[in-house]
Amino acid sequence: MRKISIFTLILTLFAPVFLAANEVNIFNARHYKADAELYGKFTKATGIKVNLINGKSGALEKRMIEEGADSAADLYITADAGRCGAFQAKGMTQSGLVSSTIKSSVPKNFRTTHWVGVAKRARIIYYSPERVTGAELSGMSYEGLADPKWKGRLVIRKSSNIYNKSLVASLIANNGKKATADWAKGVVANMARDSKGNDRAQIMAVAAGEADIAVANTYYLALMLSGKKGPEQQEAAKKVKAFFPNQDGRGTHMNISCAALVKGAPNKANAIALVDFLLSPESQEHFTNNTFEFPMISGVSPSPLVVNNLGLDFKQDLATKVSTYGKNQAAALEVMTAAGWK
Amino acid sequence: MHLRKVNFWFLSSLLISIIVAIPIITVFSSFFEDTSNYYQILKDTFLFEYIFNSFTLLICVLVLTFIFGTSTAYLVSFYKFPLSNFFKWALILSFAVPPYIYAYSLTAFFENYGTLYSILKNLFGPGNYNQYIPKFDGLLGAVLSLSFSLFAYVYILARASFLYQSQNLIDLGRSLGFSKLKSFYYLILPAARPAIVTGLSLVAMETLAEFGAVDFFSINTLTTGIYNAWITFDDLAFSNRISFFLLIFIFAIFILENLSRKKARYHSNTKGGFKQKEKIQLSGAKAFYVFFICLIIFFLSFLFPLGQMLYWTIKFPENFFDLNILTLTLNTIYLVFLSSLVLILFSLISNYGNRVSKNKILNILSTLSISGYAIPGVILAVAFITFIAWFDENIIQALGFLSIKKMFIGSILGLVLVYFIRFYSLAFNGIKSGYEKINISVDESSYLLGYSKQKTFMNIHVPYLRNSLLFVVILISLEIIRELPITLILRPFNFETFATTAYISASEDLLEAAAAPSLFLILIATAFIMLTSKYILREK
Repeated sequence: MRKISIFTLILTLFAPVFLAANEVNIFNARHYKADAELYGKFTKATGIKVNLINGKSGALEKRMIEEGADSAADLYITADAGRCGAFQAKGMTQSGLVSSTIKSSVPKNFRTTHWVGVAKRARIIYYSPERVTGAELSGMSYEGLADPKWKGRLVIRKSSNIYNKSLVASLIANNGKKATADWAKGVVANMARDSKGNDRAQIMAVAAGEADIAVANTYYLALMLSGKKGPEQQEAAKKVKAFFPNQDGRGTHMNISCAALVKGAPNKANAIALVDFLLSPESQEHFTNNTFEFPMISGVSPSPLVVNNLGLDFKQDLATKVSTYGKNQAAALEVMTAAGWK
Repeated sequence: MHLRKVNFWFLSSLLISIIVAIPIITVFSSFFEDTSNYYQILKDTFLFEYIFNSFTLLICVLVLTFIFGTSTAYLVSFYKFPLSNFFKWALILSFAVPPYIYAYSLTAFFENYGTLYSILKNLFGPGNYNQYIPKFDGLLGAVLSLSFSLFAYVYILARASFLYQSQNLIDLGRSLGFSKLKSFYYLILPAARPAIVTGLSLVAMETLAEFGAVDFFSINTLTTGIYNAWITFDDLAFSNRISFFLLIFIFAIFILENLSRKKARYHSNTKGGFKQKEKIQLSGAKAFYVFFICLIIFFLSFLFPLGQMLYWTIKFPENFFDLNILTLTLNTIYLVFLSSLVLILFSLISNYGNRVSKNKILNILSTLSISGYAIPGVILAVAFITFIAWFDENIIQALGFLSIKKMFIGSILGLVLVYFIRFYSLAFNGIKSGYEKINISVDESSYLLGYSKQKTFMNIHVPYLRNSLLFVVILISLEIIRELPITLILRPFNFETFATTAYISASEDLLEAAAAPSLFLILIATAFIMLTSKYILREK
């Protein structure tokens, strides 16, 4: 008896190898509860089981690369266009995200045939209305962050952060590497402290008076204002205001959460069905109300918290292709590190 | 007959050594590969930073764990004061709080608009307290997280050593007219030095291998550097170069620890002279101070993180309800059970093999196979994947067999195998120390009485080893409950533990959601520690 149970136990070790079903396997670097809820809805609607492996994007990518043709991965979902682009450049994705839903709902600069944006976020400036005047901010751009008038007044997270890499990559695409290298030096000179903490910590630093302006993504302020993070963070969020840079020029830097079709995906059709589902108005509304991102498709409006506090009517940068973020990623990290950006 | 048996032990030890050597060989096999020029500037900048940060972290953590560990061990071993018997075991509860959960707690409490801010606001009304609240993040945060989480290594070993110190030493100090402080510094501490150094070397290994807390505070150390070079930059050669520096650090620690042990022979009082010493009863202000010191350390190392995680679990209850506690517990138990089984089985085989065969090569092989513990889990996991991919492509598939990748990557089997590599030394050494207490003449008498080797093993060794086995199982369990990088990289689809759930929430800016899994992790680990505290703290 004991021998049999040990044998069964050993068999269960190998079980995953033999299982095959109507499923889709996601390597997932977005870990919002809202996403899990959406996957549940997808299974209910289609009968396709969603298998998840959660992790940080770097480790997930490495695992898919090493698993190679044997990888069970169908979709790679992550929160930055730079990552999807770089993954494609490694030859790890395949073309196929060309369904009519994708083509009709996602603007061209937010997709390739290998990967597609499913939600948008803007990387913007937060400021303290008590300490920053309208005149100072007037016409403000990302380029202006290097202006000496912000000396000792700016906080932004580390250079290793992917959102910063993508922002700087877009600056390189627009202004060239040399100009961006000078810009990075100016930004470092303006920092109120060495870079540390996450995006929310940057906003709270402005609220707490450690700095006057911060760079962070849009959804964080909405998240804090929602009260989901407790009354203290709500209080902090009310002390800062959002400012959308580059309104006089190309528009505010936009980034996406993207889904990439992995090379050799065993359940390609299911993967495409899931992407279509994520782009449905119902899913998009779910995103906007829970993660406070901007919808990818038209006809769905952002959460009232985003609309009322951040404003909806801003000019998005639709000229810079998000696929350049991946291409310029290495150069971006290089100019930031060379400037001494921690 | 005899020869055949020796071969079996030899082969199994060889197998274990080969399995454990896989990651090391994988890392070094590509050492001479060209590193791309692509990131050259970054590399020079980074390498210096990695070494500097690792070194600073190491020194600070060693100093703090030494102070926390030896001072509390000294107080509870030599004095009686209010709750001294409680502190004796309560101080090891800090083991239940892994450094990364300590890091979450520090941040949650001290950040702008964090828990301390709420407390101040509730006490004194609204105000901008943020600018007066110290921020424990970055390198300082990592030092504190690691020190409070790891000092128990020093505490346990120092205390065990203090307990075995003979009364004579104390009497000597008294007759020389030394003050208590002077006795401690000149007599007690030197005598306990080997034990303390062993504790500190364990702290050093853990510090250098630490991933969760260091990653959370985004400090670039050698360990996170290896991870980043390998995973972000795809630069295995650079990654190996960093590994090389890390291994130099680790090697240095090994040598120091061994040197210290050799010297110890002169110090230790081997035969006789052991007399259970009387603890000195403290009273009045002295008793209060001593009580207060222990309370502070206990509070900071255990109650503070426990309290913060509990507070957030209550404050954000939706995260608690989202947690699939039953599945997570079952997953954890499943891993603990399988790994313990495999580890114990192989450690017994190789220990028993060493005992019956007395083969020198065998001894060297088993010494080699305990090196896994010194290698950070991140490196082990990634090296394992690289090796399996290479092995599969060049051997298995080249011979025309079906791919074995899925069997090992993203499966429980692969996960348990890498746990095996990482924790083999814990199991091996734990059982070895148990075996050393069974005199070899016991075996000989047993054979004389006509017992077979198998019977000797089952009827004599196993009952003797029962306590050691129990201790080993608990150690492995504690490690696996807290383990992060290996589980994170190698686990199958839809498989989470408390540790991975907490880590993933925290890395996604959702620190509040990390509180509930962290709380459960602490509670389960605490239960394990309490079950065995008697064994860990045995007085004889």
